Amino acid sequence: MSLRSCARLLPISLALVAGSALAINAGTSAPDFSIADANGKTVKLSDYKGKFVVLEWTNPDCPFVRAQYNAEVMQAVQKEAGAKDVVWLTVNSTNKSNGEFKSGAEMNKWMKDKGAAQNAILIDATSATGRAYDAKTTPHMFVINPAGTIVYAGAIDDKRSARESDRKTANNYVRAALNEATAGKPVTVANTTPYGCSVKYD
Amino acid sequence: MRNLTATLLAALLAGVAVAAPVKTAHVEAELVPERTALVPGQPATIALRLKMADGWHTYWQNPGDSGLPTTLAWTLPTGVSAGAIQWPAPHALPAGPLVNHGYEGEVLLLTDIQVPPGVQPGETLKLAAKAEWLVCRETCIPEEATLDLELPVSDKSDPYPQWGKSIAATKDALPRKVPGWIADARGDGQKVVLTLTGPAGATTPTAVHFFPYQEGRIEPSGKQTLVREANGTFAMTLPVANQLTPGFTEVAGVLTSSNGFASGGSSVHAIAVVTPLVGNVVAGVKPVAAATPSLNLAPAAPVAQISLLAAIVFAFVGGLVLNLMPCVFPVLSLKALSLTKPGHGNRHHLRLEGISFAAGVIVTFLALAGILLAFRAAGEQFGWGFQLQSPGVVTALALLFFILGLNLSGVFEFTTLVPSSAGGWSAHNQYANAALSGVLAVVIASPCTAPFMGAALGFALAQPALLTLIVFAALGAGMALPFMLLTWYPGWRRMLPKPGAWMERLKQFLAFPLYATVAWLVWVLGAQVDNDAVVRLLVTLVVVAFALWAWRAYRGGAALGFSIAAFVGLVAAAFVAWPLFTSGSADREPGAPVQARSTSGGVDPWQPFTPTKVSELTASAKPVFVDFTAAWCVTCQVNKRLVLNDGEVKKAFTDRGVTLVRADWTRRDPAITQALAALGRQGVPVYVLYRPGKEPLLLPEVLQRQTVLDALATI
Repeated sequence: MSLRSCARLLPISLALVAGSALAINAGTSAPDFSIADANGKTVKLSDYKGKFVVLEWTNPDCPFVRAQYNAEVMQAVQKEAGAKDVVWLTVNSTNKSNGEFKSGAEMNKWMKDKGAAQNAILIDATSATGRAYDAKTTPHMFVINPAGTIVYAGAIDDKRSARESDRKTANNYVRAALNEATAGKPVTVANTTPYGCSVKYD
Repeated sequence: MRNLTATLLAALLAGVAVAAPVKTAHVEAELVPERTALVPGQPATIALRLKMADGWHTYWQNPGDSGLPTTLAWTLPTGVSAGAIQWPAPHALPAGPLVNHGYEGEVLLLTDIQVPPGVQPGETLKLAAKAEWLVCRETCIPEEATLDLELPVSDKSDPYPQWGKSIAATKDALPRKVPGWIADARGDGQKVVLTLTGPAGATTPTAVHFFPYQEGRIEPSGKQTLVREANGTFAMTLPVANQLTPGFTEVAGVLTSSNGFASGGSSVHAIAVVTPLVGNVVAGVKPVAAATPSLNLAPAAPVAQISLLAAIVFAFVGGLVLNLMPCVFPVLSLKALSLTKPGHGNRHHLRLEGISFAAGVIVTFLALAGILLAFRAAGEQFGWGFQLQSPGVVTALALLFFILGLNLSGVFEFTTLVPSSAGGWSAHNQYANAALSGVLAVVIASPCTAPFMGAALGFALAQPALLTLIVFAALGAGMALPFMLLTWYPGWRRMLPKPGAWMERLKQFLAFPLYATVAWLVWVLGAQVDNDAVVRLLVTLVVVAFALWAWRAYRGGAALGFSIAAFVGLVAAAFVAWPLFTSGSADREPGAPVQARSTSGGVDPWQPFTPTKVSELTASAKPVFVDFTAAWCVTCQVNKRLVLNDGEVKKAFTDRGVTLVRADWTRRDPAITQALAALGRQGVPVYVLYRPGKEPLLLPEVLQRQTVLDALATI
């Protein structure tokens, strides 16, 4: 048995595995992912090629996230997006090992109680997708255009606080980006620094 | 207690009314003054004192990757005004792959209050503020408190007994410009180079960290490096923020150092840096998702998940194939032949022997996996193949194989080495003996598992611990199966020719694969260390051979002098080999160039890998091919010789203008281990093609010429 054929028997994967883009901000292509949603159904970003997609990093235990939902602003933006045929995917990258990890059922219940209107809640229990997107905070938002390019990356809005009362008066960057992008205009504010709780990677 | 009473008494006498601290769930907060009175027309320093519960932290003005800075909203008497918070130097607080800037324990956030000249001594002024902060450990909690402080107005003031000293000390330690230290900043693509010039003879500041005042400037979790340059200047490299926000024209922030910055005979912990940024910067690339990111490589999209079943099957087949490896085959085939000797007739005993052997193999594999998992849990940067990254281990294995080879060649018999009592023990405990053979089989297989199975086992290691152990157990089961079968169905023995001279010749012949393994290990050592190490090892082998020969002669009846010669030989061998065991275990210096390993003359087109090189090249929109390899990785060497050095492939690389980078993992190199981890791999080979404007492509572990050409065609 030659070294070569011997070596060929062993490796695990001969398939080409695509990697992700380098910098994850506006102008770069959005890494694909394949994760189970809260109902166990596999969701791939590439399933939605041809549509605008919003990725929302979330964690119900984070006061910054709660401020958005308690003020009912996140839900409102989700509904506006839905009306524009924009796909909204809410990602929870809290690692399974972290105390704040939520199961699909828990996420479903929490979001239902809040009247959330996303298309799917993705349970990124290994945090792999969070890492691929370099998601830093909850919330951390990405808007992806139909060609798969990120057109907005960063904070949910311009009032860096966990106060519910600030939410209604804040300039919501995602709403602004969606309004411009779906109208075929370039996004004015395309990159901002996200703020919030850290994504619980471990 | 007496002190406290005295303090309170003094404060009361002075007319200061410090309200009791507000206690929230995780923080104790209060406003405390530096001095006992407000002096008309003079500033007074007031501190917001935050004492966090153990493990909790609050944030600096730039909170880093997450969090929020503490804020103070003052309510002050007419004419009195408050300045901005003067922040003490923060600490870098890692949270998984992220880094925040803030404070643990207790912090005094200082504010200067301007007291107008018109206020009358004897008055009392009430300073009130609403403080808001985010306090985090795992969880984050926004908290707030309304605090106040009444201070008398007086023409003179004294240090406030309880807090005066600490506030003065905090003020003194505030980051500020320090005479003698000059900073210049130059933007260079994805990095900013901050050049620091210190006073003549300044010692090199250690553990230097730069905290930018603003977000969206410098990546909080990016690796910062400081290099001492000639004549007292230091070049600090800072990675530009991934989420760069517009308007980066000035580098402004705080530099801290564990041993401080020399300043007029003493040293200060933190200095402020504000300097214009010349040159251009672009958004940095995503740092790797590791605890100490030092390498800017994108992690591959979640590596194709293979099912547990598939992993077990692969490992099992891999274990079977191990039996045929040049390091294992000779030893195991002789072990099998030994079953034909008399005394192995009892079927029951035979089977028990097979089971003992299998147990030895599996337990040893599990132990290896366990050790590796433990090291990794402790934060060591190990991948599979780590056992061959240490020159000491390579030397030990070379010695082991050489001695086994000499044994097969007939230079000596193990029985002549071991005292007869131990030999007898071995014979009477054939099960223990079989189990030990299993252990030995795994040990001798280890140089072959790394080269042939590095990638597969590395993958297993990246899985949850239980899965890792199952895969290693399957590997052991595969390896043990052939021998087990031979003990289970002893009928095969009838098919062998009668034991005779052929067995002796076969045994002698089987020494050669072992010598070949030694030759390969010597080559690995040469790649790892240098030519001197190779000579050292070869001399050791010669001396060991001499010692074994002399000892055998002595046991065979030669004069006592032969045993002395054997002993002297052994001591000499230990003496010669010793440096290989002691000096060799060090990692390669970070950034030290990898030895050029070009076999042909002329310029080596392959550049050595450095953590920043790949990201710099890809940022400049150049295609880059990275070969993660190691001298001990046979698959890597086969790929290199048959594919990467192929004329057509080489030409395609040149035609497409691909920069070739070789990451050599022959020795431990944490930067490469991290880069591999970022790609979801724990072992070599790994081949990555970075294409401008497209996603990086991971090529298969076993390269085909056509695969590489096809991949290059997609640039």
